[in-house]
Amino acid sequence: MAQISATEQKGMQQIDLTTLNIQQLSTLKQQLDQELNLFQDSLASLKIAQSKFQNSGETLERVTPESEGKDILVPLTGSMYVPGKLHDTDKVIIDVGTRYYVEKDIETAKDYFQRKIKFVTEQMEKVQYLGLEKSKIRDAIVEIVEMKLTQQQQQHQS
Amino acid sequence: MSDDIQKKLQTELDSFKNVQKELQKAIQTRQQLDGQLNENEIVKQELDLLPSDGKVYKSVGPVLIKTELVEAKQNVSKRIDYITKEIKRIDDVITSLEKKQDTHRGSAPEITGPVSAGPS
Repeated sequence: MAQISATEQKGMQQIDLTTLNIQQLSTLKQQLDQELNLFQDSLASLKIAQSKFQNSGETLERVTPESEGKDILVPLTGSMYVPGKLHDTDKVIIDVGTRYYVEKDIETAKDYFQRKIKFVTEQMEKVQYLGLEKSKIRDAIVEIVEMKLTQQQQQHQS
Repeated sequence: MSDDIQKKLQTELDSFKNVQKELQKAIQTRQQLDGQLNENEIVKQELDLLPSDGKVYKSVGPVLIKTELVEAKQNVSKRIDYITKEIKRIDDVITSLEKKQDTHRGSAPEITGPVSAGPS
């Protein structure tokens, strides 16, 4: 019992991997595989978020005071549009999450997207680093399991 | 005798699987809450950056409704408190389920012990 619970505390305390038995090691490997999958998924979502922010930021470049009064088509539904005129082109409303929207002028809006892109990129770097570390540990576990298996075989033969 | 062992093992296995399922569900909830907490915290940061006369809207279905900044801030803080409490609760659930899982994992070999001890 005490031995098994030690596998749950990965990262919390130093454990010599060679002292664990094969069952514990495979549980640990399973956990790491799950975590690695999660990292892959997070990375993919982060990439999507990053490109969305980039897209919005680039769109802002085209919203200038000169676009005041220009004609646009406003989508009412996915397939129906009504004509309209651009108005108040120095302000935009941004979705900041959890259904809240905030009015910002163009400069602060640009700043907002820049910050978001930076934030997301930082998170991606963090996740990538963590993933690398975890896959290193995973490789080590695989190696030790193989070592133990050959050891066992030798013991059976002798 | 061996029927007895098999039966015991089966019930043991069933309850182990049940615990595993529950644990999976709890972990999923936990991840969801984590995501919500993060989102709310980001919104809070964003609201804090606004000038006091900043305009805030809340989307209700397809329309945006104007909200007072103070109110929005309060709302987000309240939600953060609630989610933090929920996370604590689900963490306790996860720990107890993990303990249960370990007990089950330990007791299965106890039942099969004499059988599986043979040479592989």
